[in-house]
Amino acid sequence: MARINDVGGMQGFGALDTSDDTEPFHADWEARVFALNSALVREGVYNLDEFRDAVETMEPSAYLAASYYERWFHAIRTLLDRKGVVAMAELDD
Amino acid sequence: MTDRFRPGARVRTARHDPPHHTRLPRYARGKHGVVVEPEGRHPLADVRSQGRDDAPVEQVYAVRFAARELWGEGDHHVVLDLWESYLENPEDGTS
Amino acid sequence: MSGTHADALISRQVRRLETLLEDRAVVVGAALDEMLDAFLSGATPLNGARVVARAWTDPAYKERLLADGTAAVAELGYAAGGVQPQRLRVVENTEDTHNVVVCTLCSCYPVRLLGPSPSWYKSEAYRSRVVREPLEVLREFGVELPSTVAVTVWDSSAETRYLVLPRRPAGTGALAEEELAGLVTRNGLIGTSVL
Repeated sequence: MARINDVGGMQGFGALDTSDDTEPFHADWEARVFALNSALVREGVYNLDEFRDAVETMEPSAYLAASYYERWFHAIRTLLDRKGVVAMAELDD
Repeated sequence: MTDRFRPGARVRTARHDPPHHTRLPRYARGKHGVVVEPEGRHPLADVRSQGRDDAPVEQVYAVRFAARELWGEGDHHVVLDLWESYLENPEDGTS
Repeated sequence: MSGTHADALISRQVRRLETLLEDRAVVVGAALDEMLDAFLSGATPLNGARVVARAWTDPAYKERLLADGTAAVAELGYAAGGVQPQRLRVVENTEDTHNVVVCTLCSCYPVRLLGPSPSWYKSEAYRSRVVREPLEVLREFGVELPSTVAVTVWDSSAETRYLVLPRRPAGTGALAEEELAGLVTRNGLIGTSVL
């Protein structure tokens, strides 16, 4: 399926911000999300293609509004919920 | 397991739009390209993404497309890595 | 979603998730710390720069690098790591060819050799435009290529990761390998700058 991530050749995203940020993470939680995903793949909870699929199936307007690691966190939550490891509701206040 | 396509072979990509994850981007569907080289055998991402461990292992090919084929203009080329089942022999069939 | 409120919320949720995963013996926090340390100390564009400088000064190495990137970078200690096997393919810029790398579907990138990817590499603007109008995109990076140069865009759509071997800058014949490595930038290794 052509999903919202499949943007090759799409018009309208405008000029590039070419500033080369050398900081890999812009908040502590981003680093934790990055590491969590690596660990969950390594532990065999899900595979990398399932993770990509979970990012891609975000609701399109939510995908575009989300930052890079927000997308990752969404995918992690979705997969953990689907696999019965941690339910979505367990993370809410 | 012999590779279906050799370097230099002309291929056409599938026109399908499967209802699941795939690594054939929409801009390169139903397009003619030329095989650059095999890249190695990998489980088909389309099946693996569904959490299944029975994904067929296929050859992945680097395939080169002219910008004009993809966009109708431009002088550059784009190379994509595509699983064997995304590719057809352009001589086959009429679609 | 951005700003401090959203940040605080997601930060709480991530912490809660870590606690739950630890309680359920799925992932322990210490393993995450280790992973991050290894990632942050091991992944840097200095690695890619060393590979390029060696290729510029050692023709036999360059030949091996272009023939089998995975094996050639392993010679310098950069073995393929990660959770899935990845092949490294090095593509060479010459007088009449220029290569640029993208991942239109997500953000695939040879992290070990280039360090964490810059935000622009993951942006919709870059991913959507560079396959369609690479010359315009390169112009926004300040790169003007002569019209005689053939451009190839490599869209990483599977398990191969691409690294650009930039052209060695003119007038650097007297420089040692280490000094040459200092000239190589991350954007040079992606193909969005010319050294």
